[in-house]
Parts: sequence; C-alpha cells; structure tokens
Amino acid sequence: MALQSPDAWLEPVARTLRSYDEPLLRRVAAKLCKPRGQWPVDELIDRCLETLGNPAALDRRLKELEPESRQVLALIGHSRQPRWAVGSLVEMLTALGHADGLAPVQVLLEAGLLFPVLPEKGRLKHFDVWLGHTTTPFVEAPPAVTQRALKEKLPAISVDNVSLQGPVHEADGLEWPLRLAALWQQLAATPMRRTQQRDFFKRDLDRLRGDSLLGAHPADALSDLPDPGLFTAALALAAGVIEEREGDLCAGIFSPAWGGDTAALVAELLAALPRLVGWNAAAGWQPVNGPGNPYPAANLLALLALAELPEGRGVHPAALEAWMQERHPYWQSRTEKPALAKKPGGSDAEPASRRRKATDKSPPAEVTGVTRFLLGAAYPLRLLQACKDAGGAWAVRLSSLGRWALGFADAPPRPTAFPQTLLVQPNLEMLAYRQGLSPELIVKLTRFATWKTLGAACTLQLEPHSVYRALELGETQTSIVQALERHSMKPTPAPVLEALKTWSNKRERISVYPAAVLLEFPSVAELNEALARGLPAVRLTDRLAAVTSEKQIDYKHFRLTGARDYCLPPEPCATVEADGVTLNIDLARSDLLVESQLQRFAELVDNPATPGRRVYRLTPASLATARGQGMTLAGLAEWFEQRTGLPLAPAARLLFSSAELPPVELRRQLVLQVATSEIADGLLQWPMTATLIRARIGPTALAVAENDAPRLRERLLEIGVRIVHEEG
Amino acid sequence: MDQARIPVKLHRRVCLIHTEDALLAEELLAHRKLAADLAGRLSDRVLLIRPGRVDAVVQELQKMGHTPQVAT
Repeated sequence: MALQSPDAWLEPVARTLRSYDEPLLRRVAAKLCKPRGQWPVDELIDRCLETLGNPAALDRRLKELEPESRQVLALIGHSRQPRWAVGSLVEMLTALGHADGLAPVQVLLEAGLLFPVLPEKGRLKHFDVWLGHTTTPFVEAPPAVTQRALKEKLPAISVDNVSLQGPVHEADGLEWPLRLAALWQQLAATPMRRTQQRDFFKRDLDRLRGDSLLGAHPADALSDLPDPGLFTAALALAAGVIEEREGDLCAGIFSPAWGGDTAALVAELLAALPRLVGWNAAAGWQPVNGPGNPYPAANLLALLALAELPEGRGVHPAALEAWMQERHPYWQSRTEKPALAKKPGGSDAEPASRRRKATDKSPPAEVTGVTRFLLGAAYPLRLLQACKDAGGAWAVRLSSLGRWALGFADAPPRPTAFPQTLLVQPNLEMLAYRQGLSPELIVKLTRFATWKTLGAACTLQLEPHSVYRALELGETQTSIVQALERHSMKPTPAPVLEALKTWSNKRERISVYPAAVLLEFPSVAELNEALARGLPAVRLTDRLAAVTSEKQIDYKHFRLTGARDYCLPPEPCATVEADGVTLNIDLARSDLLVESQLQRFAELVDNPATPGRRVYRLTPASLATARGQGMTLAGLAEWFEQRTGLPLAPAARLLFSSAELPPVELRRQLVLQVATSEIADGLLQWPMTATLIRARIGPTALAVAENDAPRLRERLLEIGVRIVHEEG
Repeated sequence: MDQARIPVKLHRRVCLIHTEDALLAEELLAHRKLAADLAGRLSDRVLLIRPGRVDAVVQELQKMGHTPQVAT
C-alpha cells in the first residue's frame, strides 16, 4: 500500500536496489537505464529511479518485453495492490494460458520493473536463489510502471455471458466501510489479542462471529459470505483500519481515502483484497491453511473476467466458478490427480471439471469461493451490478465504479450528495439515512457515537464514553455540535446539546500528564515572569508549572539550575544534622518526590542558613501526623536509607515510636567507681558481691542500690578493699 | 533590551494528575486502588503518579466514572 502514492515508492525501491549485490545491480541497471559508462553504485541507483519516473523511458522498456511480462504488470496495475506473492502471479499467468508463469516474473525482476520484497538487512546476489530459498516470496511493482502497463490487453477469459434484462441492482458501496468503522470502534474500546498462530482466542473469535453488527450477513449482499465478522477483521487489517501492536489488534488510523468520496475508498479496499490473510470466501476463517493462497489470484481473475463483456451482457458467477476450477492451477491439480491415478497415460489430460460438465448440469461446487466473493464481497463494495436472468439466477457485470477502480474506464461522475442525513433525537439516539452517508461522515460519526444497527437507516447512540473517545481523538464539543448541525435534518435537541456540554466539561475536571516536564522556579515571582514571557505552561503551584513537551520551552529565557528525571530511582539528597531530627535538602540534587514525601512527616523550617538548601525538621507533632496517615517505622527507615544514605537517626526513631515505648523508670542509686575495668569484672564475677550490684554502667562504674551499700562495704572490707563514700 | 535569564530547575518525564479542585484530589486519594499508584501530592490539586503506572491510573479513573483528559 505504501507504494500507491505517486512519490512514496521512490524510497522503498532505492532501499531494495541498495540491497542488491553490485554485479546484480549493474545487470539490472544495464537493462533498465542502459548506462553508457561504469557509474558508481549510488549514481546508478539514482539513474534507475529517474528511469522509473520517466513515462517515455518506461514505455520503451515495456515495449521490449514479451507480452506475458507486460501482462504481469497489467494484472498488478488492475489490482491496485503493488505487492503480490510470486505464487499468485504465477497462478494467474497459468490460468490465463501461459505454460511457464514464473519466467515472466523473473524477466521483470532482471529488467528492474519488479522488485523483490526483502528482509530489512538482506543482501541479494541472484533472483533464482532468492526465489528458491524464500518460503513465500513477494514482489512489488512501482505504480508508475504498472500504470503504463494497464493498456496491455489480457488474454480473454472465455465464459458464457447472458443478456441482462430487468432491473439492475447496484449497492451503495458502504456496507463494508460501515462494518470496518464498527470494528474500529470496538477495538478502540477493547483490543483483541491474537495467538502465535495468528488466530484469535476463542472469546474474540466468538465475539467476531456472534456480534450483531459484524457477524450478521449484509442485508444488501446477494450471497452470504462465510464468517463475515472475520472477513471484516481481515479486510480492516489489510486496509490499515486496524493494526497489530505487540500482538494486540488495536484501532488504527483512518487513511486519507476515508476523507474523500466513496469511489476513492472502494478503490483502496479493492487494493486491500489481495492482502487478506486467514480468510477466504470458500471456507471462511482459516488462519492456518498451509503455504500458498490461491484466493487472491482467483478473486482478481473473476473481476477481470467481467471487464470485457459486451454492453448489456453479464456472467453467471457459477460459470466463473467452473472456469476457475478448470484453469486455476491450484484446483486444476487437485481435481486432476485422482483422475490421473485412475487412468494413467490415457486421455486424462482433460480436466476433471470439464469431464464433470458432460454428465452433470448442476452448478459446480463452490470450492474456489468465487461466487460468494463476487456476490457477497465485491457486490456490496459497489464494484458490480447484478441482474436476475429468466431463471432467477444472478448475473453480474462490472459497475462504472468497478470499471474505474480496476483501471478500465475513467472515474464515474460523483453521485449527488445529501448532507442532511441525520435525525438526532432527544433520547441521544441518531438515525443516519444511508443515502446521505459518505466515508468522511462515517468516520466523524464513528468517533463520537456508537453504531447500534446497520441498514438502510443506521442507528447510533451518543454515549459518555463515545464522546470522551472523540475528545481524546482531538474533537471538541464545538466540532461535534457543528457536525450534528451540518448533517442533521432538524435542529439538535436541547437535551443532546446539554449532554454534550456536561460530558465535555467533565473531561476538563481531571488532566493526566503521562510525561510532563515540570519547571520548578525559586519563587512565585520567577514563575510569573516566565509565564509573562510566553512560556506555554500550566501553573500547578506557586513555584511549579508544567508543559507537555520540552520542545515548548524556549531556553533563551532560562538558566538551568538542575535537571532531574522523574523515572530514575531516588538519589540521596538530604543530610542529617547532629541532632538527628534536622534534615538539610540539597535543592540542586533533590527531586519532586522528596519534598512531597517530607511534607508527610517533617515541618519546613523558615530562613535556611545556606542558600540552595531547604531545611525540614522532624517534630513529635509532624511524626504523629505521619503515623496517623499510615506511615510505618520501616517506611521512615527506608526513606532515611534512600535519601540520606544513613540508617534512621536514634532521635528520629525515638520520636516516631515514643507512643509505643514502655514507661521509663527514674530511681535513686549509688555509683561504685573502681580504678580499673578488671576490678569491676572481679566484683561482677565474685558471688559475694555480684548479687549486690544492680548494673554495670561503664567500664569502671557499677550501680548499687542504696540499701545494699552497707553489706557491699562489709564484704569488700573482708577482702581488704575500703570504700571511700562521697556524698553527692 | 536583554532580559535576565530566569533560574529554573527541570523535572523531566513527570507523571501527574491535575484536578479541577482540591476535593476531587481528596476523592482520588481516598480511593484505595488508585492511591496505591500515587507517589505523593505536590499541592492540593496535583498528585504524582508512580513511574510506569499512568495507564493503570487512567484505566482506574475511567472505571471510577471519570473521563480524564490525557495531555500529550
């Protein structure tokens, strides 16, 4: 899809050419731009790109090719999808009657008109090796090339055509876009997770199959598609309406084609059809279907078969089904193998489907899914017109939009627009009449209202979450009201306007900044000055203001005194004074959290002695408040470790846990002071004195109760030690 | 005339909630599940979100019936 826009293909092609080995590049360039000298590689690539952008040169190169190679480019051009599996291109050429479908692809690769899709850092030496070693090789053709090849006539797909009489049916082309929008809306609310095998989990599979909007068969389809909800998901993924992010399917971005008319969107969805993965019209959802996918080729051939019909004629899809079974190599080989086994070497070259025709007049079994694809997918996309024949069977032909989308005619005239197509009711329900819907309006409505039913008149509901979603996507209350007034047949009811206002205002109540840049000023005066100089910030506090991105800061007005990253782990930025309760914060190293944390358990001290520092003090009151708010001693100790690099100060521990301490005892006792610690040890060890000593209060100091003092004196005298009693 | 440069300290990648009024901030702080993802309170209307928990906070706010404006 990236190559669809006129200039977008230049860079991918240049990248591919740069990954060619030099001899290969020179070989390709020799055919594409025919350089006369030995140009350096970069210049050679530039010249190749110039040739690819030169219509006259391209026409000359195309003229030099065999018709089947030009037909490959024409097939890609008609599909509008620049990227194709090589297998699908080979299948189409084989079905169109070319014995060797691979050779034209190889010729185009060598000619520099088709390019391999390579992995990011791959080097390419030989196309043959790449084709042989890649499981499913894909090629890409610049639109500039395929557009020039569109005039190449394709071999006729000869199927019986019938005269179309009676009313001709043509859909509005909006059924699948509406379903894509409904799916986008659902995924915007709840993404879907996929398995490693690219399947959905059962819950999501059931959701896609059972959903009243996505799982139902389209009302205007002429045949039921299998698993319509999963077709919607596969188409949405191929068209970029939804995207895969880390294994989740999420709402994507509506492409510019959604802002144009229906024709542009239908053309984009046509281009997405060959990129459907996991779904086919024959069997529905088949996420693991082995290598090879014959359905993109079959579907495109079926559409191209309708291009050359005479005026007023149509084709029964069953006839195309039979042709496909007979000519497409995938089904041809499957039906031929049993026959070959039965009659070896006989007249078994005749395809099984052709033999079946001779004996069986009933329509062929729908093994290719072509009938369902045409009537169930292409018809609702407005690519086809349908008419019933005398027997009541549907016959189809390309619509004027289909002829244009496939590159067989000029753009059809724009249909008349009916901008006033909404009916907004006071109960917040909206009716959207289908004939006035456009892709642009579908996107607008999808943003702010919830699709409830899809039909000739679709119903939507305005809900708080849908309006919130729109506001998050950049809509405003005014833009929503304007959209309603522009497309509504009647003035918007007052309750609807009131609800929109209430819901919009409610969103203003809480702002979440996921990665704001906070500017911390020394005082309110500096903050005011910064705002006066045009800083586009939101004031948060007296000294703090927030901007959503650093790009909004004009640094010529500011001098950085420090910078901190909020997401980094906390760093030590505080020092504890000797008293154990005074904390000095280094403002150059502090972060936002430290002060908000300190406010929980400390008090700010005015007039710090040192500039660039802020002082907090732990007080019994501040710590009591912290305890009351649920702070624990372990939490306080952890803060000290992180912010001061030291364990919790004893004074702080005392203040914090003072309420839980047992009562302390205040009593009178004597201190026995001895000359050496050995004497103290002896007194504590000798049983006659040990029982009279209450505690050792220092190396040479022992506590003795007043009552025990006489007995201690007696026992010391017994061993010849005299106590000198000093009155305090 | 050249203007003097304003001294400023920068805090990058800050995750925060700014409420319309202090009462709303109180309400958010009183919500146990939400409070676990809040790192602190910068002012009566500004709450700091723990790094890496913004998506969880937005989801929880939506579950509570709020429609937060995510400023990016």
